[in-house]
Amino acid sequence: MPLDKFAPLDPVIHSQIRLAVLSILLSAQKVEFNYLKKTIGTTDGNLSTHLSKLEQAGYVAVKKSFKGKKPLTTCSLTEKGRDAFSRYLKALEDYIPIEKT
Amino acid sequence: MNELEAKEEIRLIQEMIQKTRKSTAETGNLFFFWGSLIILAIIGNYALVFAQKYDWIWINWTVFVLAGMFYSAFYSKRQEKRQEAATYVQIAARHLAIACGMGFLILGLVFPLFKLYSFGVIPPLVAVIAGIELFSIGGIYEWNLLKWCAALWWLGSLGMLLVHVYYRTLVFIPLIIFAYLLPVWILRSKYKKA
Repeated sequence: MPLDKFAPLDPVIHSQIRLAVLSILLSAQKVEFNYLKKTIGTTDGNLSTHLSKLEQAGYVAVKKSFKGKKPLTTCSLTEKGRDAFSRYLKALEDYIPIEKT
Repeated sequence: MNELEAKEEIRLIQEMIQKTRKSTAETGNLFFFWGSLIILAIIGNYALVFAQKYDWIWINWTVFVLAGMFYSAFYSKRQEKRQEAATYVQIAARHLAIACGMGFLILGLVFPLFKLYSFGVIPPLVAVIAGIELFSIGGIYEWNLLKWCAALWWLGSLGMLLVHVYYRTLVFIPLIIFAYLLPVWILRSKYKKA
């Protein structure tokens, strides 16, 4: 397939950490910040930066509250984020045509 | 982006979904709790029959079932507070458990209280609901073993019709051990090893 036929990949999702965040959020109603950090294996600062980008794009909703006396950050996937992730997966499939069923 | 990078991204997506699925999988603790509780209730049931205290049988079941429901609600609430991720699979399984619990309560305790049917009808009805619960849980978590166990519960409910009403409740014991506790124990061990 000529290169200009490939669907462009969403630059907001096209990053290892942000792709991992969206993959986790896809199957969950809500996920705590610490869970994302542990599962992806990244640092607080790095995850915060990537979450902010996803939040600014409207792909992820971030809610800040308290669990007992400790601050708690929970994240969830928005409808816009779900659509964008779905489009990203379809675009990704174009790059591996043999495995496309 | 080339083919190799695309494959790497697909692998990352699969890994994250798999990790989330494993870390939020059902522990099976409530299954063990309910299996043991019902066996104790059956022992209580036949102890009362043996002592000819028939009026106490309904109370025996009510005490065990309500105690079980309160503990399950407390346990689930505590788990909910502790868990860092709430997946749609967990939410579906929890709703199913509550719906079936209500079915057990209404068909097994409330309707008999109003004498809507004879007590001999209760065990087959309860076995049918247990089958529905196991089949659905098997589907939600993709555990085919539980679907086969559900079939055993449905067969058991039909088999109960061949047993004298006084002994129908006893059919629950092999069903609970071999088509409820044992498969949950096997699945839990498999999940821990994986």
